[in-house]
Amino acid sequence: MHTIQEEGKAQYFWVWGGLLLLTAIEVVLAYEQVFPPIHMLEILMILSVIKSALIIGWFMHLKHEIVAMKWTMMISVIICLCLMCVFFADAFRITHLGVR
Amino acid sequence: MATTAPVHVHAAPQGFIRRYVFSLDHKVIGIQYYFLALAAVFVGMFLSLLMRIHLVWPTAQIPLFGEIKPETYLTLLTMHGTIMVFFVLTTAPQSGFGNYFLPIQIGAPDMAFPVLNMLSFWTTFVAFVVMIAAFFVAGGAPLHGWTGYAPLSAVPNSGPGEALGADLWIVSIAIFCIASLMGALNFITTVLDLRAKGMTMMRMPLTVWAWFITAILGLLAFGVLLSAGILLLMDRNLGTSFFVPGGLNFTGQLTVTPGGLSPSTTNFTHHGGSPLLWQHLFWFFGHPEVYIAILPGMGVASQLLSTFSRKPIFGYKAMVYAIMAIGILGFVVWGHHMFMSGMSPYSAFAFSIMTMCIGVPSAIKTFNWLGTLWHGRIRLQTPMLFAIGFVSLFVSGGLSGPFLAQPVLDIPLHDTYFVVGHFHLIMGVAAIFGIFAGTYYWFPKMFGRMMNERLGQIHFLITLLGTYAIFMPMHYLGLAGQTRRYSQFTEVAYQTKLVPLQTFMTYAALITIAAQFLFLINLFWSMRKGAKASDNPWESTTLEWSTATPPPHDNFGGQTPVVSHGPYEYSVPGAPRDFIMQTDPATTATH
Amino acid sequence: MSEVAIHHPGSEAFEPSLFGTYSKKIGMWLFLLSDTLTFGALLFAYSYGRISNPDWPTPFHKESIANATLMTGCLLSSSLTMVLAVLAAKRRDRSWTRNWLLVTMLFGTAFILLHGMEWSKLIEEGMTPFKNPWAASVPQFGGTFYTLTGMHMLHVTIGVIYLGVVALRKKFLPILFLLWLLGWLAIPASSVFHVGIHVLLLALIVAAIVLFLKPKDYDAHDVEVSGLYWHFVDLVWMFIFPLVYLMSTRI
Repeated sequence: MHTIQEEGKAQYFWVWGGLLLLTAIEVVLAYEQVFPPIHMLEILMILSVIKSALIIGWFMHLKHEIVAMKWTMMISVIICLCLMCVFFADAFRITHLGVR
Repeated sequence: MATTAPVHVHAAPQGFIRRYVFSLDHKVIGIQYYFLALAAVFVGMFLSLLMRIHLVWPTAQIPLFGEIKPETYLTLLTMHGTIMVFFVLTTAPQSGFGNYFLPIQIGAPDMAFPVLNMLSFWTTFVAFVVMIAAFFVAGGAPLHGWTGYAPLSAVPNSGPGEALGADLWIVSIAIFCIASLMGALNFITTVLDLRAKGMTMMRMPLTVWAWFITAILGLLAFGVLLSAGILLLMDRNLGTSFFVPGGLNFTGQLTVTPGGLSPSTTNFTHHGGSPLLWQHLFWFFGHPEVYIAILPGMGVASQLLSTFSRKPIFGYKAMVYAIMAIGILGFVVWGHHMFMSGMSPYSAFAFSIMTMCIGVPSAIKTFNWLGTLWHGRIRLQTPMLFAIGFVSLFVSGGLSGPFLAQPVLDIPLHDTYFVVGHFHLIMGVAAIFGIFAGTYYWFPKMFGRMMNERLGQIHFLITLLGTYAIFMPMHYLGLAGQTRRYSQFTEVAYQTKLVPLQTFMTYAALITIAAQFLFLINLFWSMRKGAKASDNPWESTTLEWSTATPPPHDNFGGQTPVVSHGPYEYSVPGAPRDFIMQTDPATTATH
Repeated sequence: MSEVAIHHPGSEAFEPSLFGTYSKKIGMWLFLLSDTLTFGALLFAYSYGRISNPDWPTPFHKESIANATLMTGCLLSSSLTMVLAVLAAKRRDRSWTRNWLLVTMLFGTAFILLHGMEWSKLIEEGMTPFKNPWAASVPQFGGTFYTLTGMHMLHVTIGVIYLGVVALRKKFLPILFLLWLLGWLAIPASSVFHVGIHVLLLALIVAAIVLFLKPKDYDAHDVEVSGLYWHFVDLVWMFIFPLVYLMSTRI
């Protein structure tokens, strides 16, 4: 395990570079307003999920943990977060019904 | 990397404070939690007594309190709900019994993080003190219900008690969230890391499974309540509008309008918030919370039904998967508390279907309990009586669930006593019966003496009949249209005919509450004068009964037990006794 | 404290951990899961408000975006140095562990300072939790901004102090005390940070209690666990940055 981490030092620099690059892309896309807002949101969120996967996988070492830990933790938290999207049905209703 | 966990083995502490106050021993902390819950349950019960008296004799002069005003009724209702749900139903079965018996039942010397465990108790204690303090500040305790519905709770001074009292209420809940988080991650880590050799996941007693799944629910649910509480505090004190829409009018005194604002009471312009957001965030926590209250009771009932029927639990694996299924489904049904709120009918539809799905694992559990009793050699001792009572109440309360799961039926029923009857039976009294069953069952291990059997039986009989007498009529009242959270039925023409039923319920409540003092007497008398208990008075199989009574500081006297059997091996053919302890050597057959 | 941490008398006394790692790491992961949902709920509350208020202002111009990008760079780089600290701790290289931790703290402090300056600027422009100069009908803008970034800033502050305790142990206490005193004296009383700086005092008390009641040498595991927390703070910012800043760039 120790040897793996020693030879992997370079990969952390790559991950860091990748994260900075993705951030730069996000900033340029958003500042130049390349896409209409809804698509912009989707693209930014996809990029952010990729970034967080890089952070969780490499920086937080989840990649090297055992399968049981990886899957139970990630699945439980992702399901919970996805469930909260149900809230938005009512947020849209407020705009549609005009009740404010 | 080493896969073994470091275990903190600490010498038994000397001195009163390190031993009984700031103790790191999970057993002492478990007892501390238990007595905190005991104090809380009597406070909560007293509040419910005042409410019942007010419902029937609204002008009665109560000693020390005088006449209860309608707004005081709402305060009582709020504080009764909050104290019971958070400081009794969450605290006693999970943190109390869980702390004491989870490490012992899996063969661990202590929790994974003893210091965190101590902090978690004392944080809960602080939360309780802050909650009680809400009674004594200017304006008194809040009246927004245990659900703290916005905008009543989100606008300062929106009613009597909605001043400092409401702030304290929110702060107390936030502190409680943090305490529960510490407890939950401790429980989960302990189960994952500290199981004795041979204690595989599928050999864990169902109590441990229940505490484990409950801890996962707590871990994922309390964080959401914490942020909801923070936002609510911001709304109240910093003038944000997360939960407050524009154009509100509170009793003519306070108007929160889009443009300019109101007179004296507040300096903020609230606009554009949504009370539904609060309901979503609250119930995202709130529904798992219901299972946090009931799951440990299910675990205790499973353990006791098997032990006192002298039969293996019927369908152990099905029970485990049913607990998991209930845990998972518990997260996807919160919307059924909001059918009334004007939420999107499409999500209401989905929530309705998911809610009815919960009936499946619940029915699996019920049938397995009945299957366990079937043809058992039943020993009707007090713990068993309460376990059977738990099943009875769980079924009675659960049957009204599928009705309320359907928006069409829920909308007329939700704001009536029907819902009050439903959740008191299934979440309130059933969980309390789980706590009683656990108390009678584990008391000998905790205090080294037996509780009085006769007193226990009388206590059981009165409590079971009493709770049915209180809560069953509520279903009829609800169907007849009596609204909940309303204090004075005696003056409403179409409801006066229902008052005799309310009077009956109040008498039943008086008797039931009186019977709880029998329990209290039994508890404290038996602690000093009860018959000495042997190490295994119930001839049970799980690990806590294989160690000394009460257990030594590190639970097993410096050793770690080796487990060779499943948790419920009763009446095994060919075995020398009618039970095989989990620690018995593996030679005596079976898995 | 009569507490002695001993390892299992041998792994044969216990079942192997279901997650195959030591308890502290599992505990920190579980805490982070819960904290994820706390932040998740805040972000969902923000999005909810934004959806139901279509006139959401988009005031962030070049200057703010550049500042926020710089802050993001600080956090990302601090994560890299944190990883290097963990690697050094695994090699048992004590001095480099400490050095990398200090660099990480430096980046974290830079983040807090940049963020604090931005807050002060926004407050000067008239943005409060209940109103903002750009859209009078959407008071949520300020509320959500301050709640999200404030909660995150609190986490970063706690993280810097946590790393400081791990890196310097008791030597960190006087530094923390000086930081608090300097901050309190230097920040004008009108600023919100004049009060906010007392977080450092609270942290100082807590850190002192921890360090004096349980004096121990922090090993590679402790560094790794503190690293998990630090990366999580970074992770949260990866969502706050696009949602709060980038989606509110000038029209």
